[in-house]
Amino acid sequence: MSHRCLVAVSALVIAVASWRTMPVAGQTRSAGAGTTGTGAKAYTAPRTPDGQPDLQGFWSNTTFTPLERPKDVTKEFYTREELLEIVKKASAQEAEQTEPGTVADVHYDFTQFGLDKSQSAMAVNLRTSLIVDPPDGRLPPLSAEGQRRAADRVAARKARGGPHDAVQNEPLGARCILMDRNGPPMLGGAYNNTYQIMQTRDYVMILVEMLHDVRIIPLDGRPQLPANVRQWTGSSRGRWEGQTLVIETTNLTDKFAFLGSSENMRLTERFTRVAADTLRYQFTVEDPATWTRAWSAEVPWKTDTGPIFEHACHEGNYGLFNTLAGARAEEKRAAEEAAKKKSPR
Amino acid sequence: MRMRQAVAGVGAGLFLAVVPVVAHHAFSSEFDINKPFKLRGTLTKWEMINPHSWFHFDVKDDNGTVAEWMIEGGSPNSLIKQGVTKNTLAIGTEMIIEGYQAKDASNKGVGRNLVLANGRRLFLSGDTDLPDKKPGDK
Repeated sequence: MSHRCLVAVSALVIAVASWRTMPVAGQTRSAGAGTTGTGAKAYTAPRTPDGQPDLQGFWSNTTFTPLERPKDVTKEFYTREELLEIVKKASAQEAEQTEPGTVADVHYDFTQFGLDKSQSAMAVNLRTSLIVDPPDGRLPPLSAEGQRRAADRVAARKARGGPHDAVQNEPLGARCILMDRNGPPMLGGAYNNTYQIMQTRDYVMILVEMLHDVRIIPLDGRPQLPANVRQWTGSSRGRWEGQTLVIETTNLTDKFAFLGSSENMRLTERFTRVAADTLRYQFTVEDPATWTRAWSAEVPWKTDTGPIFEHACHEGNYGLFNTLAGARAEEKRAAEEAAKKKSPR
Repeated sequence: MRMRQAVAGVGAGLFLAVVPVVAHHAFSSEFDINKPFKLRGTLTKWEMINPHSWFHFDVKDDNGTVAEWMIEGGSPNSLIKQGVTKNTLAIGTEMIIEGYQAKDASNKGVGRNLVLANGRRLFLSGDTDLPDKKPGDK
C-alpha cells in the first residue's frame, strides 16, 4: 500500500473506531423506520432560546451509500464488518493513481486537496441504500407520463445541438446554477458536502457549501407562493413536528429535473437531531407525473468543521470559458482538416 | 482520486456498490487527453478560488525563455478548513507539474499532480514515489 493510500485509510480507521462505540442493533427493522441501523439510543436535542430543537451548526452528508440498493444485494442492512470492508476498499481506491492517457486521468487529484470522501466527515450508515421505501431500496418504475417526458427531454436536448455548442447547453453544475448538493432534496456529491443550519423563531436558513446556495425557509405558516411562480429550488415552507423540522417544497421548474422529476414534484424533508453529532435527514418525493408511486430516502448527516469558505462559483468559473474555447478550437481544426482533404496540394 | 467510478465490493459476488463521482465539470472537455505535459515551474500566484483553484507558474524552456502557465486544481474549501491559507504556499515555490494542456492550445492545463522539489505532493497526499507514472508514458 502506497503512502497515498495510507493517508486516506488512516482517516477512515479513526472514523471507524468511533463508530464502534455505537451499539449494534436494529438491523432487522422494517424499511422506513427511520434508522441507519446503528441502534442509537433515543436522544433529545438541546433547545434554542425560542424553544425549538437546536439543529444549528455545520453538517456533512458525505456518504459511500448509493441512492439505490445494488441489484445483487437483497438485505436492508450490512453488518458493521461488511460496511467497514466496503469503506476501506472505497477509500483505498480513492487514493490510487489513475492510469495516464485515460479520461479519468485528465483531472486534478482529489486527494491532494482533501476532497476525497474518505477525507471528509461521514456518519455511520449500515443501510445498503439511501432509499428506504419502496422496501427493495430502488426507485419505483417511471409512469407512462414520466417515460414520455424523459424521451421528450432527450429529443429537446438533441435539438439544441452539441453539449458545447452554446453555454446554455452546458450542465447546470458547470454553469454554477444547481448541483446534487443543492437539491432539493439535498444529496451528497463527490466533495464540498457541508451545510450550515441557522435558526430564528420564524425562519430556518440552510447554507449549502457547493455553489453557495442559501435556502431561507419561513416557519410562520404562510402559504406557498402562487402556483404560477416557479423557481429553481421551488417554494419551501417549514414547521416543527415535535423534535423534527418538516419542510415542504413545491413550485419547482421544468428546467431542473431531479432524477427526471416534473415541475409538480412535491417534496417533504424531515430533519431530526438523533445524537449530538448526528442529524437524520429524510425526504419523500411525490410525483405521479414521473413515478408510479411515492418514494422516500434517508441520509445521516455528521457534524462537520466550519466555517464554510464561500463557494463563489460564477466569479472563478474559468472552466466554462476554457471548455467553450476548446470546443471552438476543435471545430476550427476539424474545418481546416476537411478543407485540406477537399483541395489536396 | 480523479474522475472515475469507485467500485467497492465484499465477498464473492455478495454485493457491489457503485458510486459515481461527479465533479463540477467534465475536465476532458476542457483539456486534451492527447496533450500530456510535465513542466518544472516557479509559482507566481495562487488563486484560491472556487469552483477550482488556479496556480500560476513561470516555466523556463531550454533556451531560458520564460512562459506563463495557468494550472487548474481542486476547490480550496477543504484545505481552508484544515488551516491552509494563501500564505501557506509561498510565491517562488518550485514545483513539477504533470498534467494535460487546454484544448485551445493556450498555456493552461489541469494539474494531474503538483509535486514539490523535495518529492512531496502538494498539500494532503503525503510523499510520492514519483516519477511513478506520468502522462505520455509508454
